[in-house]
Amino acid sequence: MSIAAVTPDSSRRRLATAGKFLVLVIAAFLTLAPVVWTLITALTPANVDTGQTEFGPGAFIDVFQKIPILLYTWNSALVTLLIAAGQMLSAAMAGYVFARFDFGGKRILFGLILATMMVPMQVTIVPVFMLIRGMGLSDTLLALIIPMIPTAFGTFLMRQYFMGLPPELAEAAQIDGAGPWKIFFRIYLPLAAPGLAIVGILAFNYHWNEFFRPLILTISEQNFTLPLGLVTLQGNLGTGSVATVLAGVVLSMIPAALVFVLGQKPLREGLTAGVSK
Amino acid sequence: MMALQSPTATRALVVPPEAETGRRKRAPRGSRLLVWVFLAPTLIGLGLFSFVPIIGSFVLAFFRWDIISAPEFVGVGNFVDLAANPTVRVSFLNTVGFVIVAVTLQLAVALLLAILVQSRMPEWLRTFFRSALFFPLVLSAASVSLVMSYLFNQEFGLVNEFLGLFGVGNIGWLTTGFGAKIVVLLVYVWQNFGFTFLLFIGGLAAIPREVYEASSLDGAYGWSQFRNVTLPLVSPTMLVASVMAIISALQIFDQPYVLTRGGPGDDTRTAVMVIYESAFQQLDFGLAAAIGIVLTLLIMLVTAAQFRLSKRFVFYG
Amino acid sequence: MVDLSRRAALALLGLGLAGTAISWPRLTGGDIPGRGDDALTVALFGTAQDAAARQSLVDGFQKLHPDIPVRIIAIQGQDWGNFFAKILTMVAAGTPPDIVSVATEGSQLFAERLAHPIDEYVQRDAAELQEYFDDVNPSLIESFMYKGNLFQLPDNFNAANMYYNTSAFERAGLERPRDDWSVEDFFTVGRTMQASAPGSFLPYFWNNRLWGGVVPWLYINDTSFLTEEKAPGGDWMWSKFYPDETPRGGGYLWENADALSDRTVESFEVLQRMVSEGIAANPAQGGGNELVSLFSRGSVGMTPAGGFWVKGLNDAGLGDDEYDVTYFPKMRGQRHQFGAGGYAMMQTSERKDEAWEWMKYCISVEGMSIAHSQPDSSLPRRSLNAELYGGDIGPKHWEVFYDTLDRFPTTGPMPAPPQQAAVESALIKNVVGTITNGPNGVRRGLETMQRDLELALKGR
Repeated sequence: MSIAAVTPDSSRRRLATAGKFLVLVIAAFLTLAPVVWTLITALTPANVDTGQTEFGPGAFIDVFQKIPILLYTWNSALVTLLIAAGQMLSAAMAGYVFARFDFGGKRILFGLILATMMVPMQVTIVPVFMLIRGMGLSDTLLALIIPMIPTAFGTFLMRQYFMGLPPELAEAAQIDGAGPWKIFFRIYLPLAAPGLAIVGILAFNYHWNEFFRPLILTISEQNFTLPLGLVTLQGNLGTGSVATVLAGVVLSMIPAALVFVLGQKPLREGLTAGVSK
Repeated sequence: MMALQSPTATRALVVPPEAETGRRKRAPRGSRLLVWVFLAPTLIGLGLFSFVPIIGSFVLAFFRWDIISAPEFVGVGNFVDLAANPTVRVSFLNTVGFVIVAVTLQLAVALLLAILVQSRMPEWLRTFFRSALFFPLVLSAASVSLVMSYLFNQEFGLVNEFLGLFGVGNIGWLTTGFGAKIVVLLVYVWQNFGFTFLLFIGGLAAIPREVYEASSLDGAYGWSQFRNVTLPLVSPTMLVASVMAIISALQIFDQPYVLTRGGPGDDTRTAVMVIYESAFQQLDFGLAAAIGIVLTLLIMLVTAAQFRLSKRFVFYG
Repeated sequence: MVDLSRRAALALLGLGLAGTAISWPRLTGGDIPGRGDDALTVALFGTAQDAAARQSLVDGFQKLHPDIPVRIIAIQGQDWGNFFAKILTMVAAGTPPDIVSVATEGSQLFAERLAHPIDEYVQRDAAELQEYFDDVNPSLIESFMYKGNLFQLPDNFNAANMYYNTSAFERAGLERPRDDWSVEDFFTVGRTMQASAPGSFLPYFWNNRLWGGVVPWLYINDTSFLTEEKAPGGDWMWSKFYPDETPRGGGYLWENADALSDRTVESFEVLQRMVSEGIAANPAQGGGNELVSLFSRGSVGMTPAGGFWVKGLNDAGLGDDEYDVTYFPKMRGQRHQFGAGGYAMMQTSERKDEAWEWMKYCISVEGMSIAHSQPDSSLPRRSLNAELYGGDIGPKHWEVFYDTLDRFPTTGPMPAPPQQAAVESALIKNVVGTITNGPNGVRRGLETMQRDLELALKGR
């Protein structure tokens, strides 16, 4: 589908097209340039003997030697994947109910849920830490995962999504004798998959890159997530090498980029109309 | 298995809460259990991990507490103090000013690029542009700010080197008040516009092609078409996008913290930074909680105002 | 993914559950050895040493004290602020560590509110500790006293010295400055280097932070941005362990703002001149990893740094003859500034005796050597620095690192009262405004700084 302006003047249109691509190219350049710079700097570490910078994987090897990056990546992966899965499930369930049912106090409840998005994390982090400790989850990865499974934003998004689906499907299924559970699991949930994809990808992105919350909530080194581990590369009083620090950044970027790439298809399907008229 | 690909499904993100058809209100029998089971994780979870801390924080705002000794009741003392504190005032002013500029920029840029990306071009090119523009979201705010602090270094950063090619002198990006504000703004928008961009693509995609063709036949094109056709049809998405963008921008922390630590002076100090500093540097958790409440109220006010305004400006097709 | 068949969805679910079950030990931390054991908990900065060095330290300690299990909690702060936030959270939750590695920044705050004085322990084990004190300059000990009590034993320190790039010097035809070179000499050196340098070059690069920022320039002028007094007391320490020295009192007291004294204004005017002439960088805030590469590339002539920098430069491939170190220039005097670190025993600890054993181990020759096997910090034990920097490891004049303390006995820690975080913030946020607004802007900037410092010291 395209928004092609239908103008009588074709050379004007050519100018418009050129302008359009120029803007897009500049925008793409601005977004990709810092990333490319980071990659290049990470690939040109200083040679220990000559002090000159040269192209090579030295900085990346350095990262693997300096920190147990595989462990940290594994921790980050466990935490982020479980949070994403948990959020997709809880948001789908709650969003569905808000979209398709009525009950007393529904508006207030939904408003309260949205309100939780408006409180900065720095305000709640210390009480959460105390709660976690009270629950006996201190110093575990579960401490990072469990408080994040309910999601106000995800619920909001999924509610929007379910509201856009036609109610006739439920009515039809009811006539066929299907109960409410079946209606959800067999009909509406699969249809909401693109919305789920959005929730999942955003949750993954956000929690993969989190620093402050894991800093406060973890204690043992074995529980560190990747962002925490990368700080070690900055060295005592900031004396670590730039290339190594950036190599760490690049390595941590890869899984998130992968998830984004894999999520392109459901994302696209969720966001573009496959209009076949 | 029905794989619905109709426009109805895709308008899902665009349909606002107010446009209720009424037909879904009939709750099938036996679904009571489902309702409560489905709500349980979110309600219990948010109740425990959000509400309890928030209420605790609310109570704490009336005390003075440094964690080490016992809390001391001070009534509204914290609120009086924060109103008189010049740093807190400046930080809130900075935050509000920042939000106005950043969100406007973010929405405008995202909308413009979304329109351009959705226009006619080969699919592979569209995917390339869309991926490139979304990419900054994949990176962590702290890493981005770290990289940007290298790039914007006054003497050695690439940005000044690049500008030097055009004969522009050494700009003190992070060492002057004005420059620092610009850098924080640019870095924030750079990182976050991708999300808004994606929302707009969804909103634009839901507009059927026929609408454009019809309006073109009526003689509308270019700017006029944009103003009278595209803009109104995209306004529901604009509402969602601006609500999310404002809530998020009002809480900005990572970028100014890593780039400038709030300086020079207090020029890039934001509300959440003051909360963090009051808590963990001043050891004044009561004051931090009080500032947090004020910020939360501000966010709620602004969000409510947006929904109110939306009744006049948002058009539901 | 949209067209997921029911079977595939169930398979995915099953896979997810299985994966979670398999990872359960990782998720609950059950695979962490020693977790939840009743052990001596030691909190330290994650970036200070790598995991291997930390493990060697624990092993060494356990050999001496097999009956004391130790658990190290490495905190990954990006700065002292992060580190402290984590400690506070642990205290709030009722699980404070037994010992914490505290740097000068937090020393007085800990002394005032969290730490237990070690006077009685030191006096009890005086015989054992005599050789330590013999090997350590009293300035370092003094910096960890507070109101007459001792709270920490220094196990690392870094004085701010002047590093310079020898090739930049040679290129400019300059020789190593005299030890008592003046500030004007410094300007001359800077200008000469600038004139002979190709491309983009900065004679003096510095960062706006508490350690090694403006403070050395204040100290060489016998002034500071806070008033400085000595608390009474402390004689038990000085008469016993440093009988040949004049007693130094009970620790520093920084209780009032002093940004507008004549000498302070004078020092800031020097800095303003430096920046406006282009000799010094306009300081961005915080530290900079990029400094190492800039220095090694020859883009920077001089920069303030301590012994900790030798490791960074070595890692960057800089040869020990490509740079060297000397003292800060002389103004009214040549008082230098340092920062130190050492363990503090928490008041809340129920294992104080064991904590004391850990502290003693870390300041022993063995402990200090294991903790700092690489030149990432100067060591309080005079005798150990030769091993750390001698030979080809450190710069030619590595002895400057420790001689700074011996030659200039008034050398002291950077000002760090209990309200250190607020004070540092008040100082740093006003530095750029003070030195980049022309000669008349200096006093104006300092007036704002004075106001902010007063607010910071007052608390609420």
